[in-house]
Amino acid sequence: MLSLTSPIRTPYHALRASTKLLALCVFTLAVTLSGDPRAVWGAAALVAGLYLAGGLRFAAAGLRMLRPLVFFVAIVALWHGILGEWAEGALVIGKLAAAFGLANLVTMTTRLDDMIALVERVAAPLARLGIEPRLPALSLALVMRFVPVQLQRAAALGEAWRARSRRRPGWRLVTPLALLAIDDAEHVSDALRARGGVRPPASSKG
Amino acid sequence: MVNPVHTSFEDVTLTLDGRRIFDGFDLELRERRVGLVGRNGSGKSMLARLAAGLVAPDHGKVRIEGADIFRDRAEAIRLVGILFQNPDHQIIFPTVEEELAFGLTQQGLGRRAARAGATETLAAFGKADWAERPIATLSQGQRHLVCLMAVLAMAPRLVILDEPFAGLDAPTIAQLTRRLGAVEQNLLHASHDLAALADYDRVIWIEAGRILRDGDPGAVLAEYAERMARAGADECSL
Repeated sequence: MLSLTSPIRTPYHALRASTKLLALCVFTLAVTLSGDPRAVWGAAALVAGLYLAGGLRFAAAGLRMLRPLVFFVAIVALWHGILGEWAEGALVIGKLAAAFGLANLVTMTTRLDDMIALVERVAAPLARLGIEPRLPALSLALVMRFVPVQLQRAAALGEAWRARSRRRPGWRLVTPLALLAIDDAEHVSDALRARGGVRPPASSKG
Repeated sequence: MVNPVHTSFEDVTLTLDGRRIFDGFDLELRERRVGLVGRNGSGKSMLARLAAGLVAPDHGKVRIEGADIFRDRAEAIRLVGILFQNPDHQIIFPTVEEELAFGLTQQGLGRRAARAGATETLAAFGKADWAERPIATLSQGQRHLVCLMAVLAMAPRLVILDEPFAGLDAPTIAQLTRRLGAVEQNLLHASHDLAALADYDRVIWIEAGRILRDGDPGAVLAEYAERMARAGADECSL
């Protein structure tokens, strides 16, 4: 399930999406370029502090969302462990923790439609190239909406397979899933058209 | 009470994937609530999609209040809303409020006004607490209600329903039917649930893209139910 915005209210929810994303950009750039382990780990500690300031429950939810990061940390640790570059490894892990931590914090405290509106503003110059600026923003929303739907479809197809087979379905579900996705896409295009399409007619006519 | 909307199909021909769905189809609707019955594949859904301006007829015109509903999309999203059979085919956004606000921004409202409009509609349905809910956490019946609210938020004059309650349990259907009964909009409702159409102003029965019966719900629905029961008893008709 993809509900990335946290229902637990924090002061960060009230900040503007643009402010948060700009701060995130500057922070990530600085952390990535820094070679000083104390600065990097200090930044990571600062991010941890920001989570805690949102309350223990919020910090725990944030930690849960960062679970996939463990995988990357393990790979980096393994790699640098083999090479014997412990200090280097710790630096990279600190950078990962700080950058992903803050990015996740921004995601958790920003409404999707605010994020989409921002993407739309940033994409506005694309209009000069003849590309509808709402397109990237709308795509973002559609991905968020339909990833859970496709996962459900995959589960349903898997069950239909298992009901009539002793073997696991595996890759054989890829083609039917793709066809279902295309079918879904056609329905969504209808739904979009029913409400005015990507280029809303109300604004073009005034 | 809103004024009835004038919907007209004028000599409509439609071919899809080599199959002729409608051939010189004419129909005028001026009643407030019109029911549409017919077997699967009779053309009910396609009639609903033509009326919503989602498909273009190969020949002829579909007009609502005089506007060419396929071409004039600005008028279309002001005049008509459609509720699909499967809410997952209709809901575009990941959360309830965004889904409701989208249609309003499409009608030209600013983001703030659209959000306020969405909140207002949610409150009118007693679902103010749904605003931030992810669609993925809602039940099928709840998703249907989101679709209905998203359509009504745009305040169209005609709401088209394409078998919207298929596959729902009886209490959910009863609740949604009650919501629908309270709606002041004109309705064009394609359904297999004959009881839902019993108190409508007019019922049209179509078969193979043609009007078979048209008139008072009492007479049309009784004959339809009788014919369907007979077809069901006949093993060769599947």
